[in-house]
Amino acid sequence: MPTDTLPADRTPRDTSHREILLVEDNPDDIELTRIAFGEAKIANELTVVHDGAEALDYLFARGAYAGRDPHHLPSIVLLDLNLPKVDGREVLQAIRDNPLTRSLPVVVMTTSAEPFDVEASYALGVNSYIQKPVDFERFVWAVKQVGLYWLVLNQPREGG
Amino acid sequence: MLSTLVWGLDDPSMSDARVPEFSIDDVAALQRQLDACRAELAALRQEQATFAHGISHDLRAPLRAIESFAALAAADAGLAAGTRGHIERVRAAATRMSGLIEALLEYSRAGRAALDPDWVDLGLLVEWAGAELREADPSREATIDVDPGLRVRGDAHLLKVLVQQLLDNAWKFSRTRDCVWIRVSGARAGARMHVAVRDAGCGFDMRYAEKMLQPFQRLHGPEQGGGHGLGLAIAQRIVARHGGQLRAHALAEGGSEFRFDLEAAPGG
Repeated sequence: MPTDTLPADRTPRDTSHREILLVEDNPDDIELTRIAFGEAKIANELTVVHDGAEALDYLFARGAYAGRDPHHLPSIVLLDLNLPKVDGREVLQAIRDNPLTRSLPVVVMTTSAEPFDVEASYALGVNSYIQKPVDFERFVWAVKQVGLYWLVLNQPREGG
Repeated sequence: MLSTLVWGLDDPSMSDARVPEFSIDDVAALQRQLDACRAELAALRQEQATFAHGISHDLRAPLRAIESFAALAAADAGLAAGTRGHIERVRAAATRMSGLIEALLEYSRAGRAALDPDWVDLGLLVEWAGAELREADPSREATIDVDPGLRVRGDAHLLKVLVQQLLDNAWKFSRTRDCVWIRVSGARAGARMHVAVRDAGCGFDMRYAEKMLQPFQRLHGPEQGGGHGLGLAIAQRIVARHGGQLRAHALAEGGSEFRFDLEAAPGG
C-alpha cells in the first residue's frame, strides 16, 4: 500500500488489541483454527461468525450487531469461500464495495485450490489466498505465517 | 455448416446426385438434434466442474479434520504405544487419501483446463521438477540429464505437470537402485519434437504397457513405489490434449522409457 495516500498526521498503532474475524461455518475448522492460533502464540481475540450474512452484519454493525461501532474494524478477516446464505465471494465483494471496509485486509482461507476460485478471489480484491493444508503441522505453520504477516509485519491503514 | 447446406439446396448447380436430398424439415430436425447435443455437452461440463469442486472442497474438509484431530490426539504424551500406532495409521491413511484427491483433481484439470499455448523450454521444466524431487527426498542420490534445446509449443502449466509426473514416476520406481538416474532426450521430426524420458528403475512387464497409462491401473504395490495409479494417466491426458501420444517401453537392460511428441518450436 503506498504510504503517500495516508493522512500526514497518522501515527503507527498497536494492533494487538484488535480482533481477528473468522468467517467459517465448519465447527471442526473453527476449533482447529483456534488451536492453531494458540500454538502459533497469536493472542488477538478471535471473533467467529458462521455465515456470510452474519459476517456482513458484524462488519457493517447491522442486525444482531446493530450496537457495534462500525468504525472499529478487525485487524484481519479470515474468510472461507463456501459459506451458507451469502458465500465468501459475495462477502468479499460487499467489503470492497463499502468505503468503510474497502481496504480491510481479507485473507481467503479455504480448502479449495481450484484455479477458478483463486482467480475469482483476486479479481474481487482479496489480499491473500491460502489453501488450508490437510496436514495439521503445516496448517499451524500457515496460520502462524498469516498471523505474523498481517498482525505484526504489515502496517495497516488508519481506520482499517 | 448447416447454413451452407441450406444454401446449397437453393443453388441449382448443387442439385446433382452428389448432394443428399434434405428437406427443410430434415435440416430443422438436425438443427434440433445439434442443439440438444450442445445443451447436453454444456450440462456435462457443468456437472464435471461441480464434481471437481465438490471433491476439492467437500471431501478435503472432513479429511483435514480427521488428520488434524488425530495429530492432536497423537501429541498426548500418556498414550499407550499400541494406541499411538493406530493413530499414526489413521494419519498416514488421511495423507494417502489427500494425495489421491490432489491427483484426481489434477487429472480432471488436465482434461478440462483451457489451453494457453506458449513457447516452452522443456529442459527448464525438467530442472525445475528435478529440483522439487530432490528437495522432497534429499537423502536420494540422483543424476538427471536433459538434452539442450528441447523447445516446444504448449501450455506451460500443463507441460510442467507432465514433466513432474514422468520424473516422479521414474524417481519412485528407482527406489531399489543405489541412485536415481533419469535421462531426458529429444529429437525433432518435421513439426514435432519427440521426447524420451528414460530411467534405470525396476521397469515393467511390456504386456501392461498400455494398461498402465489408464487411471487407477497399478502394476506395483506400495512397497515397490506404487502410488495412487493416476500419475501416468495425468501425463497421458496432457500429451493427448497437445495432439501427441504417450507410449511406455520397458528397456531390455532394465528401466523404462516414456516417449511422447509435442509441437516443436520453429528452428528448435
